[in-house]
Amino acid sequence: MDLDFQIILDWWPLILNGFKLTLVIVVGAILLGIPLGGLLAFGRQSRFKIISISATAFIELFRNTPFMIQVFLLFYVLPFYGIRIPANIVGIIGLALFGSVYYAEIIRAGIDAIPRGQLESARSIGMSHWQSMTNIVLPQTMRIILPPIGNQTLSLVKESSILSTITVQELTMSALIVQGQTFRPFEIFIVITLLYWGLNELIATGLRIYERRLERRSLSDPASA
Amino acid sequence: MSIKDNIQPLVELFDVRKCFGQTVALGGVNLSVARGEVVCVIGPSGCGKSTMLRTINWLEVPDSGKVVLDGQPIGIRIGQNGKVSPQASKDLNKTRSRMGMVFQQFNLWPHLSVLDNITRAQEIVLRIRKEDAKEIAYRLLKQVGLSDKTDALPDQLSGGQQQRVAIARALAMDPILMLMDEPTSALDPELVGDVLSVLQQLAEDGMTMIIVTHELGFAAKFADRILFMDRGLIVEDGPPQQLLQNPETDRLKFFLKQLGDMNLNIPGVM
Repeated sequence: MDLDFQIILDWWPLILNGFKLTLVIVVGAILLGIPLGGLLAFGRQSRFKIISISATAFIELFRNTPFMIQVFLLFYVLPFYGIRIPANIVGIIGLALFGSVYYAEIIRAGIDAIPRGQLESARSIGMSHWQSMTNIVLPQTMRIILPPIGNQTLSLVKESSILSTITVQELTMSALIVQGQTFRPFEIFIVITLLYWGLNELIATGLRIYERRLERRSLSDPASA
Repeated sequence: MSIKDNIQPLVELFDVRKCFGQTVALGGVNLSVARGEVVCVIGPSGCGKSTMLRTINWLEVPDSGKVVLDGQPIGIRIGQNGKVSPQASKDLNKTRSRMGMVFQQFNLWPHLSVLDNITRAQEIVLRIRKEDAKEIAYRLLKQVGLSDKTDALPDQLSGGQQQRVAIARALAMDPILMLMDEPTSALDPELVGDVLSVLQQLAEDGMTMIIVTHELGFAAKFADRILFMDRGLIVEDGPPQQLLQNPETDRLKFFLKQLGDMNLNIPGVM
């Protein structure tokens, strides 16, 4: 089979716009999803029953249903109740909600991994609960949760392609358009595969460097111990 | 110091009770500790000695009873009509900052340097300026013999060094009372001495201390009083000589014999 990459050059502006939109959606979903995940993680452990039950239900619902169905519900069902949100915004919100429940579980596991004595020594010296969390527990949690948070973020990049099903013209949708216009699926899907791969590889490398910096700053050097 | 200060005990426990599920950890403990007193608490594991220590700074909330520090009830607020309600957390935090606690497992904060371990609570709880907090930290590190470790991370220190940092961290808050929960139990035998000599210095400086310990030698030498606890109660209470050499109850006799069998070199005992 002959590959003709000229079509990629011809359609490059469309592909590039799709790539940019994917970036915007993913960044938006991370910026919304991680804080929301933090809220859910704390909400789940709240001593107020109504908060902990709501947070748990929310997490279980989004964790145990397909992302595509969640997106359909947001996009097709909400308008019946008079709530009309542009597809791109639905995309960001949907991906953020989907990601947040995983972020919540990661953050909760990270907090649980800190030995109880850490919180006790902070409280016993007179720190408030909030001071203990921000000064003692969460900084240690950061180091533990960074790798799984990174993995979850890579998976958000990939899941974002599902938003093509609700007319969001992100990278996958752009590829579908190019394929429809040129009847040549091969070249365009090779190219967007490389783009997704490159984007995720970039994120993963950045995280690895950051992790290593954290480790160097905080872990003891075995040679000097 | 006024006369009142001399008479009023620093710590008082009135009928303190605590259960964990079906297990009775404290079955109504009464205790009074005077200023400057060094009290060692001994007893078999599960006797409630750690729980008692932890109720004093409200890390463990008693089911009933009252704990009083320096004349002020801890953890509860007694209203004008005599109604008891939980103390505002702000007040509880303030009360806790006046008591230093030292844990068996040190519980230093591994992401902070030795210096930051000692200055952090001074800065955010007592609102002491960073420079002043550092001065205090340097002085205390010198006192515990670790002046050269200011920039080390806790993981780079031996257990004995970590525990001495933990003591310095507690002392930095200028506490009126030190609570120590088996401060040497997690240490290798050859490292125990360094920690004990720091405690000894504190005792000689007049710090009021309540120490849960297995170090009968230390207790015999430096405690003003030893409490023997068993099954959630203080069974014997008296000066070291009396308690260790003339135990009254069979339970204490049995406990001392057990310890004696395990370690024949307890100085000052038997």
